[in-house]
Amino acid sequence: MNFIRLIIWKEFAHIRADPLMSRLIVLPVLAQLFIVGYALTMEVKHTPLVVVDRSATPQSRSLIASLSSNDLFVYRGTAASEEQARALLDRGAAKLALIIPAHFARDIERLNDGAHVQLLIDGQDANSASVAAGFASAIISQWTFARLGRQLSGQGIDVATLIPVSVTGTVLFNPLLKSSWYMIPALVVILVTIITGLLTGFSIIKEKEQGTFEQLMVTPIKPVHLVLGKIIPFAIIGFLEIVVFLAIATLWFGIPFRGNVLTLFLFASIYMITSLGIGIFTSTVARTMQQVLFMTWFIMIFFILLSGFFLPVENMPHWVQTITLINPVRYFMFVVREIFLKGSGLADLWRQAAAMLMIGVAVFGLSLAMFHRKAQ
Amino acid sequence: MTAPWTGRILAVMRKEVRHILRDAQTLAIVIAMPVIMMFLYGYALTLDIRDLPTLIEDPAPCSETRAIARAVDATTMFKVVGTVPAFGDLIELFRKYHVKAVIRFPAGFGADLRNGGTAAPIQVLIDGSDQNTATIVRNVAGPLIQDEVLDLMHIDPPKPLTVDPVVLYNQEQKSALFFVPGLMALLLMMISALLTSLTITREKERGTMEQLLVSPLRPWEVIAGKIIPYLALAAIDGVIILVVARISFGVHIHGSVLFLAAASTVYVIVALMLGLIFSTVAKTQQQAMLMALPATLLPVIILSGFIFPLASMPAFFQWLSNIIPATFYLQLVRGIILKGVGPLELWQPCAALCCIGLVFFGITLRLYRVRL
Repeated sequence: MNFIRLIIWKEFAHIRADPLMSRLIVLPVLAQLFIVGYALTMEVKHTPLVVVDRSATPQSRSLIASLSSNDLFVYRGTAASEEQARALLDRGAAKLALIIPAHFARDIERLNDGAHVQLLIDGQDANSASVAAGFASAIISQWTFARLGRQLSGQGIDVATLIPVSVTGTVLFNPLLKSSWYMIPALVVILVTIITGLLTGFSIIKEKEQGTFEQLMVTPIKPVHLVLGKIIPFAIIGFLEIVVFLAIATLWFGIPFRGNVLTLFLFASIYMITSLGIGIFTSTVARTMQQVLFMTWFIMIFFILLSGFFLPVENMPHWVQTITLINPVRYFMFVVREIFLKGSGLADLWRQAAAMLMIGVAVFGLSLAMFHRKAQ
Repeated sequence: MTAPWTGRILAVMRKEVRHILRDAQTLAIVIAMPVIMMFLYGYALTLDIRDLPTLIEDPAPCSETRAIARAVDATTMFKVVGTVPAFGDLIELFRKYHVKAVIRFPAGFGADLRNGGTAAPIQVLIDGSDQNTATIVRNVAGPLIQDEVLDLMHIDPPKPLTVDPVVLYNQEQKSALFFVPGLMALLLMMISALLTSLTITREKERGTMEQLLVSPLRPWEVIAGKIIPYLALAAIDGVIILVVARISFGVHIHGSVLFLAAASTVYVIVALMLGLIFSTVAKTQQQAMLMALPATLLPVIILSGFIFPLASMPAFFQWLSNIIPATFYLQLVRGIILKGVGPLELWQPCAALCCIGLVFFGITLRLYRVRL
């Protein structure tokens, strides 16, 4: 036990003395929080819109006004022809073009199969394109039904009798649909991985690079004690970072934390078994710091892309979804968001806990065995 | 007769190539990375939402509600995972079943319809935590389900206005077309800036930079000899990406390949310049790496419009994106591959990229004189 305490003490002294380490502990937290909080948004706003208005009637102008009167679209004026609109799309000056036909005002009076408007969509960024087109369709349909309702009530007909079934949509947990509410909680995962995975790897490889590793090996300290002494400081720093992170996320960004902090800590410690294991693994396999960085980065890209960080796992093909079952980041990412926004507890998340624990034990065990063999 | 400097540059190049080949691990990553990332992005970054786990809350099951539930399940967007009777606590429902949407029938739904009346609305409750998915679902779910229901009941709703969407440039909305340009920008930047900054700092660390400088080689010959192999490596990676994109994901280049090659060369040179700047500032490989990694990769991923739409960002970040080479390179690559447009339409990003290149060149020259 004494040996472990000594190594921990030595490790903290190292971290304090090494400006790089202390910078790596502080900077990523702040940088990530502020970049993700302000820039990393999947929200689609201010889509530049151009209109070809062949109708040029009060009706068509009213439709254009309903589209241009919110911050979803930036109205870039009218184009003279479809060719001109397409040229604007080609140049990237507009992303959407609405083409209103000449007989719009006449056709729209017909109840069935009335007017048709064309919406040209710049599909380069498929996601933004479909979101922007969805907004445009929704606004146009609202405009249409408001108009229909006024028209029919003039004739004494309630529009609801024509459509006996209606569907309403309600958004829960994040009613304003803010990107930051979804992305910022997920940062805990990346933060914990950097601190416990990357920095542990760095710390062990540094001893190897400087040749002090052999010196430690010839002391009576057992490899297990050495590993524990190396990882415990980073686990402690990891927990401290989570506290700082939670404070900034809730106080500065105003993201609700609806769950229990202890549940989050419990899951963080389960996840750390895996990430510390990865740190031990990379530093055992690699010879230089650069290789540790490359390997960690490589592993993390895999894990994060297949975790549902940007895009939901459900969208992926089934065989990819099966692969994600062994991805520890997937579970932790899911759990963090559930705890943050829904206030889920251990009773709702025990399956994830079990899966993470199994992966953690496997990764940590293998890494430790490898470390042990190399150390002999 | 070849000029004497060709031989000297060749000598430096030979040395550099040997260095690259010796570090097998890094080389393997450099070659395997594009292929692996292509497949990863190709399969993981699927943008269309399908099989959203959905729960039906049905207080009074009848043939109508069951038919609607089947119709909802048959859509690609929703996947009905179960039906529950009236459930009090909605929040608890989402927590417990991990579903993304709940479709809630009003109590007397079937009876109201059979009596020829108007039923209370069907509620679609959407888990908004994933803002992007929830936005799309909110826009689409209402009309989608309503159409299914009306179709089922053989009701023709009034349709005074129809929107006919026409998707340009990426008709099938393939995600490969969306990420290939971004991947080009990312990988070319990584290889050019990161590896170049490491190679020069390595010489500095080992003290061999002084040896090179006192040799008859002129500074620019050293630099040229050092960066040309990485230019070749970047070209190989670019070709790998395009070939894999063509064979596996059916991505065709609509515009001129020559123009694409020219634009990529300018971009790679800009990135190499950036790498040189880092290497003159940094003293050790570690410092160079720590500067180059966040300074090159993060802007490409975050501020170039690769994944996150620039138009939605605060003004400060939009302004910042204008000094990032990848922003313009991305516009060029997307323009050439997807739209098939030429220099005439793309002169703005072309000019911007060249300007950034010139500025970087000036900085590099200055730093190089002072520091080396």
